[in-house]
Amino acid sequence: MIKFQRYQLENGLQLLIYPDYSTPMVALDVCYHIGAKNENPNRTGFAHLFEHLMFGGTKNIPDYDEALQHAGGENNAYTTNDLTNYYLTIPKENLETGFWLESDRMLELDFSEEKLNIQKNVVIEEFKQRNLNQPYGDVWPLLRELAYKVHPYQWQTIGKEISHIADASLEEVKDFFFRFYAPDNAALILSGHVDPDACLQLAEKWFGSIPNRKVSKAPLPQEPTQTEFREKTVERDVPDTALYLAFHMPDRRQYEYYVCDLISDVLSNGNSSRLYQRLIKEQKLFVELDAYVSGDHDPGLFIVSGKLADGVSIDTAKSAIWKELKIMQTELVSTVELEKIKNKLEANLVYSQMSYLNIAQELANFENIDRAERINEQVDLYRSVNSADLMRQAQQLFQEPNCSQLNYLAKK
Amino acid sequence: MIDRTIQPTITEAAKPVILVPEAIQLDNELPVHILNAGTQEVTRLDFIFDAGLWHESKPLQSAFANAMMQEGSERYSGAQIAEIMDFRGAYIQFVIDHHFGTISLISLNKHLPHLLPVVEDLIKHSSFEEHEFETMMNRRKQRFLLENKKVKVLCQKKISEALFGNQHPYSQKVSKEDFQAIRRDDLYNFYTKFYRSGNCRILATGNTDPQLANMLNQHFGSDDWQGERMVRPEFTIQASDKKVHQVKKKDAIQSAIRIGRLMVKKDHPDFHSLQVLTTILGGYFSSRLMANIREEKGYTYGIGSSIMSLNEAGYLVIATETDQAYVKDTIAEVFIELKRLREEPVSAKELKRVRQYLLGEFIRDFDGPFAQAQSFRSVADFGLDHRFHEQYYQTLMSITPEKLQALARQYFVESEFHTVIAGA
Repeated sequence: MIKFQRYQLENGLQLLIYPDYSTPMVALDVCYHIGAKNENPNRTGFAHLFEHLMFGGTKNIPDYDEALQHAGGENNAYTTNDLTNYYLTIPKENLETGFWLESDRMLELDFSEEKLNIQKNVVIEEFKQRNLNQPYGDVWPLLRELAYKVHPYQWQTIGKEISHIADASLEEVKDFFFRFYAPDNAALILSGHVDPDACLQLAEKWFGSIPNRKVSKAPLPQEPTQTEFREKTVERDVPDTALYLAFHMPDRRQYEYYVCDLISDVLSNGNSSRLYQRLIKEQKLFVELDAYVSGDHDPGLFIVSGKLADGVSIDTAKSAIWKELKIMQTELVSTVELEKIKNKLEANLVYSQMSYLNIAQELANFENIDRAERINEQVDLYRSVNSADLMRQAQQLFQEPNCSQLNYLAKK
Repeated sequence: MIDRTIQPTITEAAKPVILVPEAIQLDNELPVHILNAGTQEVTRLDFIFDAGLWHESKPLQSAFANAMMQEGSERYSGAQIAEIMDFRGAYIQFVIDHHFGTISLISLNKHLPHLLPVVEDLIKHSSFEEHEFETMMNRRKQRFLLENKKVKVLCQKKISEALFGNQHPYSQKVSKEDFQAIRRDDLYNFYTKFYRSGNCRILATGNTDPQLANMLNQHFGSDDWQGERMVRPEFTIQASDKKVHQVKKKDAIQSAIRIGRLMVKKDHPDFHSLQVLTTILGGYFSSRLMANIREEKGYTYGIGSSIMSLNEAGYLVIATETDQAYVKDTIAEVFIELKRLREEPVSAKELKRVRQYLLGEFIRDFDGPFAQAQSFRSVADFGLDHRFHEQYYQTLMSITPEKLQALARQYFVESEFHTVIAGA
């Protein structure tokens, strides 16, 4: 049980506090409920570009990093399709510097053409480094475009194309900030060596005067049910041919999400899992093979991805995977196998509680879905899933018309 | 109204508690360190063997011997080992580096009695079955080919060769052909020689069970897996005379750059001070290299410098990836930054900043049981002890701009650096 406290400031900012006195550090995490899915389709990559601009300083504090480093702090951030999360860790003695820095970034950034141009360039180099210059670097954009026709999950956080970043104007950037970076669109999470009363006071002191910005987000277009099998084939200079199957699945709030997650565990969590033992070790059809859920907050994807062993054809690989998926649909998972999956979840939960920073990020993630309290409901949800649920869900999920297949062929 | 331009008062963070683990011996004299820390009922066990790349007679031998130990033993098949580990929610990892082959187990305390017999069998009686060997070898080969498509991997290989010469174990010289040349027996022979109690030590970390030492003795304290303590052979470093190297990778969109030179080892009196100097150069977000080349010029997503410490040598390396168009300017700017450190003393303000940053990092290095364990290994693997960390702390608190400049003049000599560019 993660015992955390919740408060709300008058301007709408949610405050979550989780004390853990086994560490001399504190994590201060600000989660903005703005992800790549909230972007204009012609200006993708903005949430992530912001992650860079947020380190460019404010009018009151020209150098964010310098101030933080003086206090012994360290920070980073990440952007997903659902949220942008900024976090720092700092020795408990200097926690107030964290409040000071993060509140000032929420108040107002010091925008300039010059800073924008430099960070645009950095992001463009990041785009090249991650997407263009890596083997398999364009798999995700290809798969997203294939699986999503309407929902903004069709682009990745770094953006659909370089030009969206390159053409971003200062006005657009400012507008984006005041539309989404606001106390009423954020959660402040503190975990580690903290005094909750002192945190509440510091939050009032530093964040309390930031105006509510009346954030309103346009409803997202929902992806219509896929009714036809989709397939795309590309050829690239990579060592192994790879195969990807993506199935639409329920959103993060549904019970069925947890059932899907457990299906992926039965198939591929650990070296004893079905796909590893049967298709990699016994039949030697793949050198790598995984099944996993994308974890998106809106309806996401259940993905099976594998790299084929030398000389194996796409068709052979595909039928071998489908054979395993069919078994999930027709045979009940045994009690022992299900217990194994659940034991593993239980152990992972204990391991994850060894890190105060990890707890802060988990709280941020659940708060972004709808409420952080979900963190304590996970175990019971997973525990309540039975073999019949797995079979029923597999029958719904693994239908050919619900499948997008990407064949990523190695150029010989 | 609060004045937002003024930073809240900074207090120097307290020096972390550096735990010294309890040292015991099993009945067969195998040394065990127990580092009791943390609140969760979790234990990590590291079985550390002096069985790294340094001891190989053939490329891939040490890595594959280590990895094969999870693929089956006298009493358990590879599939059974995996099944038991997963059923207990435990993780077992097989890691190889230049000097050590390590087997690590992470588990809830309550499951250890069920897992230790398995770990015992796979360490003492690994079977190295031929068909398991072939599957593993093929998978590893494909992963190797993938890695070798990346410019940063090609670049790192080349700089290790330039610094150490291609006969030295610190030079990364595995080729595709080595996968054909390696045999099951090469691995088994290596395993029987090096994975023996006389060549092993154990590190246990976590909120450990009071019975842990007894359990370890029961499974690993007997004389049935004795063997000699292995002596490290000697190798000579033969750095390349050529200072600039190109590796061609057609169609690469970005180039990887590595600029490096040999450096002192961990036991050298300058080591701690050089850590501070390297951090100023490129070891944190506000470093000279990041400020200039990323934040001011926008040439790259990231650039950094660090000292790689190995048992028999150390080296400094500056690493980045950038568009072809910026390669020349990026390299020029790196050397300008080295020159600036030689010619101008670091300001008091910058030194204070890096000191505070490193102090925060130092606290993180000892925050939590696993961090403590890693910090312990960072000295124990080098035959050093906790005094090393104390000396580092003293250096950090007392180092001056003059000392840093003197070190830059001594070590940041342009003619001693090798530059490697991998790209189109």
